Amino acid sequence: MTDPLLEEEVGSEEPRQRFVLDETGFDEVPKKYRRFYRKWGGPTDTLAPNEVLCPVCKVVIRSTRELRVGDRVYCMPCMSRLVVAKSASGLLEAIVNYG
Amino acid sequence: MVSNRTKDEPHRLGHDVFLDEVHSFEFWFQAVEGYLSDHPYGCSRTPVVAEPEIAESARDGLITTLCNYCVGETAALEAASSMIAFAPNRRSKIFLATQVVDEARHLEVLLHRLEQLGVADPEAEVDLRANRSLLAFKRRLLELVAARDWESAVFAQNVILETMEFTVFSAHIELADPITAEVLEGIIKDERRHMGFGENDIGRRLMDAPHIRARLATVREELDPLVLDAFEETLDQIGVPRSERPDLGRRYLSSVTRLGFDS
Repeated sequence: MTDPLLEEEVGSEEPRQRFVLDETGFDEVPKKYRRFYRKWGGPTDTLAPNEVLCPVCKVVIRSTRELRVGDRVYCMPCMSRLVVAKSASGLLEAIVNYG
Repeated sequence: MVSNRTKDEPHRLGHDVFLDEVHSFEFWFQAVEGYLSDHPYGCSRTPVVAEPEIAESARDGLITTLCNYCVGETAALEAASSMIAFAPNRRSKIFLATQVVDEARHLEVLLHRLEQLGVADPEAEVDLRANRSLLAFKRRLLELVAARDWESAVFAQNVILETMEFTVFSAHIELADPITAEVLEGIIKDERRHMGFGENDIGRRLMDAPHIRARLATVREELDPLVLDAFEETLDQIGVPRSERPDLGRRYLSSVTRLGFDS
C-alpha cells in the first residue's frame, strides 16, 4: 500500500498527472473535503485517472493526482480505508483495507 | 510540504488521524450541515409543494412501506443508544452518539411523511402495519444489545440492517414520488456512515480475533431469513420489478461477502 505521506515521486516511476479538483455538488462531508468526492452516475459513469469507486457506499473518490495500483485512498462518506487495485477487466478498483 | 493544490486532501492523512476525524462529532456536524440545513423534515420544499397525485392503492402501499421503515429506524435508535454504554472505545461511543441523532431524525421525518399522506395517528399505524419478520429482527437485535455483545450487535445493526436499508431506500428513490424521494435521499446520506462504520469495525475485529467469525455467522444465519422476508415484502410494495431483484440482492449481500461470509 502506497502511503501518500511517505511517497516521493523518484526512481523509475513515470510522473503522475495532476488534477485540479472543483466541487461537484457533493455535500455529505465537511466543506473542505467535498471536492475529493462526487456522486456516482451508475455503470455508465466513466471514471477519470484520478478517480475510483468506493465499493462500500458507491461514491466516487477523487485525488489531486493520477491513481495507481497500491495507492491508499480514504472514503470519508463511509469511513473506509481503501487500496487501489486492478480489476479483472483491467480498470482500477478500490478494495477495502480493514487492517 | 503540502501545496495549496493538495491542502486538505484526505488521502494524505495518517490512518489514526483519519479515524479520529471521521468518527468525530465535529465531522458529523459539518457533514450533515451540508444536506440538512434548510430541509425541514428532510425536504427542501418550503412551504411544502402540493402533495403529488398518488393512486389510493399506491398510497396505501407507501404507508405500509414507510411504517416498516419506522420499525427499522426505531430498532436502530433503541439499539444504538444502548450500545454507547458498552462501546469499546471513545471513537465508537462518539460515532454512536451521532448515529442516535441520525436515527431519531429518520424516525421523525418518516412519521411526518405519514402525516402528510393523511395518516391521523402515524405511531398507531406503525404498530398496525409492522412486518412480523422485521419486528422479530428488532427483538433479536435488542437481545444482542442487552447481552452487551458488541460484535454481534454491530454486525446485526450496522452491517445487516443498515445495508438492507441502504439497498431498499436506493431502489425506492427511483420509483417514489418527489417528496418521499427527497426524504429518503437525506436518510441514505446518513446510512453511508452507519454501514461503513459497521463493516470497518467488524472487518478490523475479524482480523484481530478470527474466532468471532463463527459467532457472527450464527447471528447472520438467524437474522438473514427475517431480513430477506422484510426485503421481499418491501420490494413488492414499492413495485421493484422482479428482473431487478437479483441485482439488489447482490448489493445487499456485498458487505457480508467482503467480510468473508458466504453469500
